[in-house]
Amino acid sequence: MARPRHSGEDYARPIRRLLVGLLLLALLALFALWRIDSPRVERMRAEVVDRVLPSFDWALAPVTGLATMAGNFQSYAHLHEQNQQLRRELQQMRAWREAALQLEQENAKLLDLNNVRLDPRLTYITGVVMADSGSPFRQSVLVNVGARDGVLDGWPAMDGIGLVGRISGVGHASSRVLLLTDTSSRIPVTIQPSGQRAILAGDNTIYPPIDFLENPDLVRPGDRVVSSGDGGMFPADLLVGQVTMGSDGRLRIRLAADYERLEFLRVLRSHQAETVDETGRLIVPEPREVFGPPAPAPASIGLAEPEPDQAAEAPDG
Amino acid sequence: MASPRQARLWLGRAGFAALAMGLIFLRLLPLDTLPPRWAGPDLLLVAVLLWVVRRPGFLPVWMVAAVVLLADFLFQRPPGLMAALTVIATEMLRRRHMRLRAGGFAAEWAATSLAVAGVLAATQMALLITVVPAPPLGLVASQAVTTALAYPLAAIAARWLFRIGHRPTDSRRRISV
Repeated sequence: MARPRHSGEDYARPIRRLLVGLLLLALLALFALWRIDSPRVERMRAEVVDRVLPSFDWALAPVTGLATMAGNFQSYAHLHEQNQQLRRELQQMRAWREAALQLEQENAKLLDLNNVRLDPRLTYITGVVMADSGSPFRQSVLVNVGARDGVLDGWPAMDGIGLVGRISGVGHASSRVLLLTDTSSRIPVTIQPSGQRAILAGDNTIYPPIDFLENPDLVRPGDRVVSSGDGGMFPADLLVGQVTMGSDGRLRIRLAADYERLEFLRVLRSHQAETVDETGRLIVPEPREVFGPPAPAPASIGLAEPEPDQAAEAPDG
Repeated sequence: MASPRQARLWLGRAGFAALAMGLIFLRLLPLDTLPPRWAGPDLLLVAVLLWVVRRPGFLPVWMVAAVVLLADFLFQRPPGLMAALTVIATEMLRRRHMRLRAGGFAAEWAATSLAVAGVLAATQMALLITVVPAPPLGLVASQAVTTALAYPLAAIAARWLFRIGHRPTDSRRRISV
């Protein structure tokens, strides 16, 4: 045999095997616990992330900055082109700015006339993106605001323009934003001119498809998509993106948020956030008190005492 | 056991722990938040397999479990599943590491590629069986392929950086952990 034997270690091997078995059992038990009682283990995960991530924090920012700088350096070659393009865009933007200012003034005037008060609870907290999910299969980022800042599960997160995702998992000083592109992300949306309701279902691509659309004929590429506020999940009318037609003929959404550069995210304090704090249940009608046919009134039967099988069938009756 | 050997052992373990933290850190950098078309290699898995075949003493089983469990937590994977499967794979390789060393690099590469494929396929199976939403099959397959292809490169890198190469089997004793 190629394997040398050491007589002094022979007693150790069964013990080692036992310990490895116990270790495996513990790991699998953790997985089973996660499968059964996901919220509890996810809270544990948020705590672990909260504990580990700050120790990386001093390095995460500079290394990310350096890598971004290297990326920007490569684009120096196109500097002239870019400059021209930016000038043209700036020209257009000036016109838009003028229009926006006028609209803002008009809006302010109208609000003043109507004596409207904006809901003070619709404010936001801005967080810096610290880390991404680290896995090619999950689309989420970590931001540096957490329970310390009053962040709750389910709050929407936006970049400057459009919806990015929602908070899913809050630690003390960090929280996870589940991006709209993740496979487990489902957002109720409204498609603007036609007013149709649909669900935006992430599928790990940059153009998530639209699901549960009642009448696809009323929707055409270029339509605006905003959150619908159904189910109390999000405030209504947050910009999500535009409808496009995918190469597979499905209606998809071009997201308004710039997913290539998620640096700062705005977490909206929406008042009623749906929280998931227990395991999933089947949605069934309320259980009836008596299982089986309704028990007849004792007077109609005329029996002094119920028969034993009848009593077993209808214990409450 | 002499104390310099003991010191070297713990130094090696600390070295692996630092490397693992570095790899986790690299994966967490928020450089690319777009969904990928194909998945890059799981370098942490490569490192664990490389160390277990070449320096099993530096990588005791509890360390495999701890490192991969931490990665499970940080990378939003189902906690414990990948850790358990990696422990199983490394235990199988650990039992054969003497023979693998005698068999040359081709045998080592084949064994570790099988281990990678086994771990990823078993993860996918377990997710399907427990009705957890599993990642798309194409991505997982591309990750298995790139991870297997990354193994020789990682072996070369480890040889240069950490002096972890093939060694004749008789020069050092088996270290039980």
